[in-house]
Amino acid sequence: MNGPRRASPQRLSGSLSTPQVTVTFRGDGNLYTPGERLLARYRVEGVDETLVTAVERSVAWYSEGKGEEDLGVVFFDRVVAGRQVSEEQAGWQPLTGTISMKLPLCPLSYEGLIVKIRWCVRLRLFFVGGRDFVSEHIFFLGDIPVARPPEPVAS
Amino acid sequence: MRLPSFFSKKRGERRTGLPAWGSLGEALYYAVLLAAGLVIGGLMLTGVAVPEWRINNRFVEVSGRLVGKGVARHTTVDLFGVRRKAWRPAVLVEYPVNGELVRSWNTAGLAETASRREVAVGLVTEQELGQTVPCWYDPDQVTTVVLKRGYSWWFWLLTLLLPGALVAFGGSGLLHAAGGWGRSEERRAAEVWGVLQRLARPLAEAEGYPTIPACDNLVNSPGTVLRFRLPTESPEAWTVLGSGLFAGLWNAVVVVLAIGAGFDVAGGQIDWWLLGLLAPFSLVGLLAIWLFFRRVLLVTAIGPSHLEISDHPLRPGGCYDVLLSQAGSVAFRRLELVLELEEQATYRQGTDVRTERQVVWREVVRCWNRVEPLPGTPFEAEVQVRVPPRAMHSFHSTHNAVSWRLVLRGQPERWPALLRVFPVVIFPASEAAAAGAATAVQQKRHEVAS
Repeated sequence: MNGPRRASPQRLSGSLSTPQVTVTFRGDGNLYTPGERLLARYRVEGVDETLVTAVERSVAWYSEGKGEEDLGVVFFDRVVAGRQVSEEQAGWQPLTGTISMKLPLCPLSYEGLIVKIRWCVRLRLFFVGGRDFVSEHIFFLGDIPVARPPEPVAS
Repeated sequence: MRLPSFFSKKRGERRTGLPAWGSLGEALYYAVLLAAGLVIGGLMLTGVAVPEWRINNRFVEVSGRLVGKGVARHTTVDLFGVRRKAWRPAVLVEYPVNGELVRSWNTAGLAETASRREVAVGLVTEQELGQTVPCWYDPDQVTTVVLKRGYSWWFWLLTLLLPGALVAFGGSGLLHAAGGWGRSEERRAAEVWGVLQRLARPLAEAEGYPTIPACDNLVNSPGTVLRFRLPTESPEAWTVLGSGLFAGLWNAVVVVLAIGAGFDVAGGQIDWWLLGLLAPFSLVGLLAIWLFFRRVLLVTAIGPSHLEISDHPLRPGGCYDVLLSQAGSVAFRRLELVLELEEQATYRQGTDVRTERQVVWREVVRCWNRVEPLPGTPFEAEVQVRVPPRAMHSFHSTHNAVSWRLVLRGQPERWPALLRVFPVVIFPASEAAAAGAATAVQQKRHEVAS
């Protein structure tokens, strides 16, 4: 699970090419401690830049397992092509960039039996015509061991 | 031609689709509910509210004269297919309209409908022919006349309840769909709808620790020996409350049925359907009362359990003193205090909302065999609870939860098993401990890299 994740080629539509998204986390792995600064570099290849109308970058946790999915977004940024407003966004290249933010203290990544909590960096590209493409890259917050079913209660 | 995908498709880590189509489907669903609510509400208004409003505001008041009387019969069919007759007093009123006399029959309101003909005849007998009465006629249709005015508010409330609920549900859903129109789930969560969802969460969060439930109600009761006394979440208490509510409601229904049957018998009529239902209903009612008192006896006989703790909230790696106090005169073959971690997941299955619980970690803190309390003195024991250094913190989101609790289980000599739950909240490791953990993480990174 460590190191950059690369999306496999996938055709979005007849007119669009195949995005390949690479996210590189700081350091040697994708394991972070609570409160640590997340630094992730991303690069999108194989896409015609002029067809991208907007890019959303987010850092989020979500639940998996038996229950309905819950989602918590701790960082969100959306840049619309041709509408860069801040100085930082002035020289913005839609298909490369860096996400940097201080991670919260919780919730920690958790691998339970019916509840799992995962952290990820998501990159969502919006194309001309309204279709979108999302690439998700998992990292771990904290070092909680995997849960195992306990011994049954002795009667 | 490529058809649009209505919903986003999960393919490994990525999804493609047209988010607007998903929003459109959701919006259509709520729009149909809203439209249904508006249509039903409109029909209710035109059928009940507008006629009453016209009577009270548009009908012309005149002085009329009773020139005839009788009773009107109505036949209805109930749920069991039984035809029932009802009788209403009716009077023939003569009143002036633009200089001409008009005659029209008027039946009384629903409140004066009688199931027995003699009652309706008795009511109409009180009216004297030739007497002058105030009446109101419809200027658009002069043969429509009423002898009473006013509003039946309770009827309005009942008839507007269903469309009101549909309009509220459909309208709020439509607003929600409009708010998320063409927006990604991350954007919705980060913007105003995410804030609204956080506000609507059933449990408050601890300051600075998102998704960890606040433990204010766990630290507001001081202990007699240790710092805090933990509140209990006894399943037995809920069982007693539930059985008490059921017994009360069921027997209330039985009493109402019995009163109705009693009046029928006194009036010389015997409704065999009602009497046939009453016998098994009474039996179930008596059984419910017996079960309720049995549960009350079980809860009160064993006696209350108290747990005090030296500090709260707990932290991974921490060690805490716990004082257990079990009152009552019941002897236990076995009594044990356990620290448990329970996962809770809420999901939809069809139209049902289900919650599944699973204990994923359990450690016996202490176990006592052959507990014989002395008369008038509760059984007391002080133990130490150690939280594992890499324990998961308490977590609570809209549909998922990870909860810690101290559980007291007992096997009394002659009574059913005892189970009392004392929830606790575990925060993540402190900043200092997190710094130590960071070193361990760095080491792990190097291990992975090498």
